[in-house]
This record gives sequence, C-alpha cells and structure tokens, in this order.
Amino acid sequence: MSAPFGTVLETLTRQRGVRASLIVSESDGLVVDSNLRFGQDGARVAALAASMYRKARLSARAAHLGAVAFLQLDAERGRICAVGGRSDLVIVVVSDASANVGLIRVELLKALESLA
Amino acid sequence: MIIASVEPWIEAPLRRYVDDARARIALLLHPSGQVVAQAGFTRAVDVMTACALAAAVHATAGELGRQLDGRPFRALHHAGVEQQFHLAVTETARGAYICLTVFDQESSLGLVQMYFEELCRELAAAAPPLASLRAPALGLDFERDLNANLAAMFGREERG
Repeated sequence: MSAPFGTVLETLTRQRGVRASLIVSESDGLVVDSNLRFGQDGARVAALAASMYRKARLSARAAHLGAVAFLQLDAERGRICAVGGRSDLVIVVVSDASANVGLIRVELLKALESLA
Repeated sequence: MIIASVEPWIEAPLRRYVDDARARIALLLHPSGQVVAQAGFTRAVDVMTACALAAAVHATAGELGRQLDGRPFRALHHAGVEQQFHLAVTETARGAYICLTVFDQESSLGLVQMYFEELCRELAAAAPPLASLRAPALGLDFERDLNANLAAMFGREERG
C-alpha cells in the first residue's frame, strides 16, 4: 500500500466483510489510492463508483436536496458504499452483502473527516 | 449517434464502446491516418482532419516514448476545459488501429479506459484474419484508399 492514504484505507478494509477500499477522483474516475483484496479490479471499481457518485451528487442537487452524505448500492453479491467531501476525492468501500453497513458508514464518515 | 465503418465487424463493438463509455466522438484509424470507423462525425472533412491529426499525435507520442522509455507510449490523454480526448492503440489480427475518443463531463477518463479495454478485447475477438499483409499506405494508394473509406462512410462519390 502506498502513502498518504494508507492508514485510512487500512482501517476501512479491516472492517468485517469489507473487500476493498479506495480513494478515487470523482471527475476522472481514477484510483488515487487503494487497499484491495486479491482478485479485485481497482480501476474498474473506481471508474464505476466515481461515475455513480457523480450522478448521485448531480441528482441530489437537481432535486434541491443538497449534498450527498452517503451513497449505498446493494447488489446481489455485494455492496458499494461511498462518501465524498468538498474536494474531488470520493472514498469507496466494496463489501459483502452481509457486512454491517452501519459500521461501514461510521468508518467512512470518520475517514472523510480525517481527509478534510 | 451516427456510426459508420469501412469494415462491418468493427461496427457492433464500436457502438457498444461509444454507448458504454458515453463518448461524444470515436474514431478508429490505421496508424497511417486512414479512417476505418467513426462515430459522431457528420462531415467527411472533419473525419479526414481528425485522422491526420490523430495519426500525427500518435506518431509523435510513440517516438517520445521510444526516446524516453525505449518503447512507444501506448495511450495518451489530454484534458481541455469542456472536452477531453483519449488516444490509444488496439491490436487485432488485421494489425494495429488507433482509437481516438472524445468525451466530456458525461464520462470520465476512468470509464473510457475501462471500456476501451473491453473494446480491445472485442475487436481482437471479432477481427477476421488478414488474407495478405497490407502494403505500406503511401502516395497515390493512400489518397485513393482514404477517399474510398470516406465515401463508404459518408455515402458520397469517390473523389479523384
């Protein structure tokens, strides 16, 4: 793992059921830093999660709902959670479908604070 | 979006790529600058210009890569204020093609790179083998082939 986001990502990936955690650029959809388990395709997750987060942010703004606080996608075989701040960076977690989303949410929001 | 191709096996993969990557414009060409397929252009002259420029940029980047890294750079990205382009090479049984993709805020470099990898796989799988090696595209042949390709895509009489 590489600096400077290593500690933040390691804390996230240590949560039970978390398969990968990434920091991605929302505008480019590129990986800034990542902590992936073997077999995860970080570039693919980053591109799709960034795109999804951007669309959610634009949708929330268009609906006059304000900023996106937390984004969660539940799928058959897993879950993607993402949070973003004022910068271009988005923190993304990929987890098992059975993972505790409450804990992941808390850790993601903590991670976001530590990046601010 | 209008998609036209000189070789029919290219059309479906290119259409998927443009849709998935949400590209505004895509162009597939030989490294010599001859157009093979295009998506999003409406005028032949724009295709011809874009092909010439893309081939030149690719050649320049390739040579820079050889000078700096001992091998040509495979892909190039340039970001403008509103639009960006991605220029990369894809290898098939019929030889190498350059793909120029123009995209805006509807897409991202990550998405384009990801779907470009899929395009490469699909083109490599779909390409029929070449019966014989292509002769170097130079001089009269080049112009004739270029005009024939543009005519095939834009439905006009061949020039010259």
